[in-house]
Amino acid sequence: MHVLTLADTSGIGLFFQQIENGITLGAMYALVALGYTLVYGIIELINFAHGDVFMWSTVVTLAVVQAMGITGTLTGPALVGMLLLLLLIGIVVSSGLNVAIERIAYRPLRRAPRLAPLIAAIGVSFILENAAQLWRGSSFVAFPAIFPGGGLQIGSVRINYLDIFIVVLAVILMIGLDRIIRLTRLGKAMRATAQDPEAAALMGVNIDRTIVFTFFIGGALAGATAVFYNLYIGQVWFLTGFQLGLIAFTAAVLGGIGNVNGAVLGGFLIGVIKSIAIQYIPSGFQWSDAIVFAILVLILVFRPSGLLGQRVAEKA
Amino acid sequence: MSLPTTKQRQPWRKFMQTQVSSALDTTKIAGRPLRWFLSGWRVGIIWLIVAAAVPWVLDTSLQVTAITIGIYVMLALGLNIVVGYAGLLDLGYVAFFVIGAYTMAAGSFGFIQMANGDTVAVPDFPFWILLPAGAILAGFFGVLLGAPTLRLRGDYLAIVTLGFGEIVPIVFNNVPFFYGPVGISSQPPSNIGPISFGDPSFPAPFYYLTLTLVVLIILGVISLRESSLGRAWVAIREDETAASTSGVNLVSTKLLAFGLGATVGGIGGVMNAAFTTSITPKDFSFNISITILIMVVLGGIGSVPGVIVGAILLRFFDVYLLGQVNDFIHGSPLVADSGAPLHVLAGIDFNTSKYLLYGLILVAMILLRPQGLIPDRRRTRELHGQGVSSETLSSVGTVEREEVGEEVEGIGAEDVTTYTGAGSDAQGREG
Repeated sequence: MHVLTLADTSGIGLFFQQIENGITLGAMYALVALGYTLVYGIIELINFAHGDVFMWSTVVTLAVVQAMGITGTLTGPALVGMLLLLLLIGIVVSSGLNVAIERIAYRPLRRAPRLAPLIAAIGVSFILENAAQLWRGSSFVAFPAIFPGGGLQIGSVRINYLDIFIVVLAVILMIGLDRIIRLTRLGKAMRATAQDPEAAALMGVNIDRTIVFTFFIGGALAGATAVFYNLYIGQVWFLTGFQLGLIAFTAAVLGGIGNVNGAVLGGFLIGVIKSIAIQYIPSGFQWSDAIVFAILVLILVFRPSGLLGQRVAEKA
Repeated sequence: MSLPTTKQRQPWRKFMQTQVSSALDTTKIAGRPLRWFLSGWRVGIIWLIVAAAVPWVLDTSLQVTAITIGIYVMLALGLNIVVGYAGLLDLGYVAFFVIGAYTMAAGSFGFIQMANGDTVAVPDFPFWILLPAGAILAGFFGVLLGAPTLRLRGDYLAIVTLGFGEIVPIVFNNVPFFYGPVGISSQPPSNIGPISFGDPSFPAPFYYLTLTLVVLIILGVISLRESSLGRAWVAIREDETAASTSGVNLVSTKLLAFGLGATVGGIGGVMNAAFTTSITPKDFSFNISITILIMVVLGGIGSVPGVIVGAILLRFFDVYLLGQVNDFIHGSPLVADSGAPLHVLAGIDFNTSKYLLYGLILVAMILLRPQGLIPDRRRTRELHGQGVSSETLSSVGTVEREEVGEEVEGIGAEDVTTYTGAGSDAQGREG
């Protein structure tokens, strides 16, 4: 889907170019994976709708850009202002949706059998996808390339400014999340709830508020990613969230679901694996989704705790 | 599991007794009149007569609709074995549907395509061989998928099955052998004497073929539910640890659920290919897996009459009612003219937005009526967190869940499980 920026079409240069592409993709996967892993860590639910929450931010930010009549590249203050506006809108849409979904669909089912909230999540995902399809149609819509082209050339590897922007901002967001979880009271409440909700509640942690906050944070990360994704891929589609959500979920599982560092590691790894697979496996693009699924199945079968996860035993 | 008592050796009698007694139960179940009307063996016979009359009273297009409904009833019953009986969420059920369909199509087409584009003639097999072959092959893949994954916890299993459901159509899409995205045509079942199954203007024979298979599958799944295997499924659904300590072999029990569910899905796939006589990988999307799941949830997870009704309602809506509604709205004078007040609706194709409605149905059902339209009694109690009374379960070693402790800030105390020792299992082990 995304246009490969090939400076050198052979040998080691191409390999490093694919790694560079993979890192940029991986930064986005990691941010979405964090949303899965945070929610799973707290309430042990695979928030199936998370990818579609992300997709809604891509759709709404596209609508904003179109409404403002922007079709080409921006520079200077206009670019900075536009990026800030889009990030704000993306974050508000995704975090708002995520919190609303928690309130409407998941909270009433918190005490229900395990599969009930998962089925509800699948239903919500279905609703979000098809509502977006109803609104924007079922074909790809182009997102204008508002970010200027150009980039650095290091040897035979080309690094676009956009890639740098995405990776740097993603890393800033990850560090910010890490600070929130480690240093703030809400972060402490999140960690306590993840360990043992009952004990946390007995210690005076407001469980409902902590869960809402978790959904808010996960949604906000997905909303920011949606803007990066629009700038990078330049295509808006109602099933984007389904595809990217599964990849990000795989990343979260690879890293060890429930583990924040694991989600970041898994995101980057999956990004690199996917871009290398697309390049080096014959007709790799058609197979790339199947490859990601195969990775997911293999991890779940041979190391369900993931690379960094510790919790192996099933909590009944 | 337990030594079967006389009662258990006669699943039919058991079924009739429970169904009839539940139909006459005047106190407990909400929506009782509907339940009485729709379940029980007498009503089953009435339904069968109604179903058998379809080709005599309905026109050809409705008969075609009835055939596709029948295929989806099979699929929903098959998924119900996995989701309803054994409590394993399978989000990739379409994989078995597609395997059955491709078995039928590739097996009867007579040609395969090599990587360089050449077609090569291969033997073609009749439907009557491919039907069991597709069922067995799908069951085989069910076991193959289940073997490494069934020790995963429930929600992981859901994702792995989803992945499988996505991979299988991708494989068919990318393998030239089966003509890739172009798809492949299938032959209708060969004639039996003067009876032709492939005549589009006279679908009655195919309809009766479908009906026969549906009836066989219904009898099969009811017998399964009442068998010791069925009770083992219920046991692992309610509490895996307790079931395992009572001597239920978790892996083989789950594998059987998966394999049998997949087998039924394969039969549905063969029938679908034989009926539509042309399939492409695009026909088998994630949406179908979810649609079948919605049929199960709508009708009542674990409830055979419920699942049948769920499949009929949703499929009838899908292939018949929705088109009518769409045409009606688009043809209405309020919408059709460009100046009409509701002209905005003209741009909406209700056929493509149906999944939005399906999603709403799924969420609404799981939130408001998780037991479905025609509930399975036992499942209802599980969903409402009530203990299952020992009298209804006199033959099953069961685990009673009790809520102990107070609510603390919205998070309930962990369920405390205690043995009631109601069944022969627990007692047998103690003695």
